[in-house]
Amino acid sequence: MTGRVTPLGVSLLTVAAWAVSLAVLSARPELFVAALPLVLVLGMAALKRSAPDYSVVHQVSAARVIEGESVWVTVTVTARSAVPLMELVEVLPRDDGLGSGRSRALVALRAGQTTSYRYEVRGVRGAHDVGTVVVRARDRWGVRAWERRHVDRKVVRVYPRIAPLRSLPRPLHTQTSVGDYVSAALGEGIEPGDVRQFAPGDRLRQVNWRVSLRLGTLYVTQHHRERNADVVLMLDTLTEVGLARESTLDLGVRAAASLAAAYLARKDRVGLITYGGTIDSVKPAAGQIQYERLADTLLRASVVFTYVSKDLAFVPPSVLPSHALVVAVTPLLDPRFTKATLDLAARGFDVVVIVVSPVDVTRSVLRGSLADELACRLWALERRARLDEFRRHGIVVLEWHPADSLELALAGQGRRRARPVAAG
Amino acid sequence: MIRVAAVAAALVLFVLPQITAPIPVVLAAGVIGLVLAATGMATLWRWPGTAAACIFVTDYALALWVGGPSVGVVEAAGFGLALLVLLQSLELARCARHATVDAGVVRSLIVGWTGFAAATMAIAMLIMALARGMAAAIPFAAAPLVAAACALGVVLALAVALSTARA
Repeated sequence: MTGRVTPLGVSLLTVAAWAVSLAVLSARPELFVAALPLVLVLGMAALKRSAPDYSVVHQVSAARVIEGESVWVTVTVTARSAVPLMELVEVLPRDDGLGSGRSRALVALRAGQTTSYRYEVRGVRGAHDVGTVVVRARDRWGVRAWERRHVDRKVVRVYPRIAPLRSLPRPLHTQTSVGDYVSAALGEGIEPGDVRQFAPGDRLRQVNWRVSLRLGTLYVTQHHRERNADVVLMLDTLTEVGLARESTLDLGVRAAASLAAAYLARKDRVGLITYGGTIDSVKPAAGQIQYERLADTLLRASVVFTYVSKDLAFVPPSVLPSHALVVAVTPLLDPRFTKATLDLAARGFDVVVIVVSPVDVTRSVLRGSLADELACRLWALERRARLDEFRRHGIVVLEWHPADSLELALAGQGRRRARPVAAG
Repeated sequence: MIRVAAVAAALVLFVLPQITAPIPVVLAAGVIGLVLAATGMATLWRWPGTAAACIFVTDYALALWVGGPSVGVVEAAGFGLALLVLLQSLELARCARHATVDAGVVRSLIVGWTGFAAATMAIAMLIMALARGMAAAIPFAAAPLVAAACALGVVLALAVALSTARA
């Protein structure tokens, strides 16, 4: 740790030099006396050269929170030698919202004294590195400073907020594992299907006694199989509109997280592709651990600008299994995402597009003048025509207006998906 | 609190030259100094504070030059302390911006300033007493040269000591 002269020291030296110069020129001893306090302070600073001895401990109240929740950061300083003045500045990520308290502090400590201060940070989605505290200790007069960077790195993960969903887009095809979808195929299950004559090998508990008594011979009830499905969420990270924290990407991430949680609760295997400047993917799997994997990928999702057209051929086949339901979450602003979605539909995937309306997001940040309103309405008309084009390709398109709940947008899905799905 | 100290110091620096020589030129220079000090307090830039201090020193020198031969050691030492308080409190206000300020900071500052003021007064009296004794030994024609050499020596010694000192 190297001490250096502060700008205050330079100021004091300048004023002292000016005062003694004027004293010599005007031959007035009072000006020498006036310069005396400044000279004494500078002299003391030049003599005292030892750096203050202290330690800094940095604590974070939680390492994993949901968007909008608070994290309390506590910084504790213990001085082993007297520190007349100490500035502490925590280097916060640029987009973090500071709640109550301040991330800067000014303290004075006697030898052996401990002090602490705390402040609240309201997390925005992402993995944030905290724990870098810049400490500038000064001597009693502020002329000399010793600066040190204390790095006690801690990662605070802020996960997207999820909304409970009940009306999910139903997959057209199911897989072989047990799940919540009633399959058209008959087998083990609890949903009654057909009734047929008893055959050797049938279990006694399958006998339908009411039919058997009426028809005079043994009949058994067959059941529909209950299967799960593969669902791949495809998030558009090519572009976004809107203010930070409420942009179409943030809304899309929340929608994708909500869908992932809801599908995983139905025992489906859920995968993820973030389609943008960089393509990130998570293989479909089931269970709570899979949600952690998906959430970890979603919290990193950001727009990476690129002119390069990304091809889904780069996505490993294990991420996009055949007969998977692909749920694309997008504001549909970049033609490259439109092309990729149409490409998937053409390859036989069951595609549902959830469109996060960029018109509503843009309208919410505009002043609301007549010209703004007219432009938004024209844009909405143009987009409606584009969405109809998707529908003509047989793709289910659900438009989500962020002012409404996602549940409401999903409830508006076509009846095509209400019937029992075909066995995979 | 820190800015109150800066305001008080600026007022002392403005008033002392007016008491020494109440003439329009001194008043005008004092007002310029006050404006610069106020700019420094409002914007927390460093240069207006330093410039204000230099203007106040010039103002005081002008007032002493016009005012006459009487020597006021206590006033001069008070003026110097006010200069120190002005520059230090402006720097502290800059540090305290958007920061949580511990109560101990202001307490230790007030204690430090009070003790230092007493020590400065005592040292100033001692130096003046020594200077009166030495004045008889220095030839009248050489006195300005000795004063200039001493002043240059002190400033250079401080500058060198500060720039070379490393922890």
